[in-house]
Amino acid sequence: MNIRPVAMCLLLAAALSAWADDAPIGYVKTLTGTASITTGKNKVTAQLGTPLFQGSTLKTGAKSSMGVTFKDDTVMSFGSDTELTVDEYLYAPSQGKLKLGSSMAKGSMNYVSGVIAKLQPDAVSVKTPTGTIGVRGTQFVVKVDEPAK
Amino acid sequence: MKMRDTPSAVWPALLAVAVLAGCATTAPKDTSYAVLLKSPDGSVGKVVLRGNQGEQLLSQERQGALLNGSQAPTLVDEATLQRDFGEAMAARPELPEHFTLYFESGGTQLTQESANQLRGIVERAGKRASMDVSVIGHSDTVGKSDINEALALKRAQSVAELLRSKGIKLDSLSVESHGKRNLLVPTPDETPEPRNRRVEVSIR
Repeated sequence: MNIRPVAMCLLLAAALSAWADDAPIGYVKTLTGTASITTGKNKVTAQLGTPLFQGSTLKTGAKSSMGVTFKDDTVMSFGSDTELTVDEYLYAPSQGKLKLGSSMAKGSMNYVSGVIAKLQPDAVSVKTPTGTIGVRGTQFVVKVDEPAK
Repeated sequence: MKMRDTPSAVWPALLAVAVLAGCATTAPKDTSYAVLLKSPDGSVGKVVLRGNQGEQLLSQERQGALLNGSQAPTLVDEATLQRDFGEAMAARPELPEHFTLYFESGGTQLTQESANQLRGIVERAGKRASMDVSVIGHSDTVGKSDINEALALKRAQSVAELLRSKGIKLDSLSVESHGKRNLLVPTPDETPEPRNRRVEVSIR
């Protein structure tokens, strides 16, 4: 065993970044109360440092909040009873691949756009039940009330 | 019109205007809305709302409108913002920070100035409760692509190792090479350019 842990970590990190679709696209940074991250069939309770992936659904419970930061510096934070899915996330500026498409089913969110919106403003959107928000690079807040039954 | 009262008082009024404007339907009361805020860097950008009843542009600080696009934007006051978005705004993570380190030609030796900068990066990073770091290496255009790709990766790896050796605990560390594909200063091929021989460290 002459490979140092550092070197192994670096190799692992390099290997992970090669599988773009499997690599984390962001991490949980702030949390109060309870929240979850569901990716495919895998549901985990959110903690500081929990990774997000393309396709992840982020949910907060009652009296809870959560903040996440993405690889391109997009920062989203959610109030109680919020549900948002990251439908599409592409961040490869050197290859011109840029996209951040999300859908918000309910709740409240503070959104600070990142590099993707800066480089390609029409690539960033948030779908909601009554309309789509086109993010042209700035901070905004949005509240989505579930449609009346 | 100001969105400062309780929603029950304000939204029917908004809807009534929508009816007068001829763009509302018999759909149930629709209260979802967005508000443009000043960005952390002090600028104010734009948000386009493309709803099922029209399209609206938010371009001024604290302008808000229904997501369905049926209403022209109105100013939203602080109390309403706090009531509807206080939790989400308070949960906003600390914004990412970026540092650029420069190298002597041809290898992984940091310039003296950049080597001195490492301590500051470590200090900033240590203040975060949960941290992930990305380290992206770049080269200038002297030499072949594959060699530059490898050199830029070596530079990134050497910086990552330095950060670890200085005690940064990382939830996640990603190391990448952009070789000469992502020049800070555009140059023709085979041009030595100190500003392109760099590693970008992002702390999030």
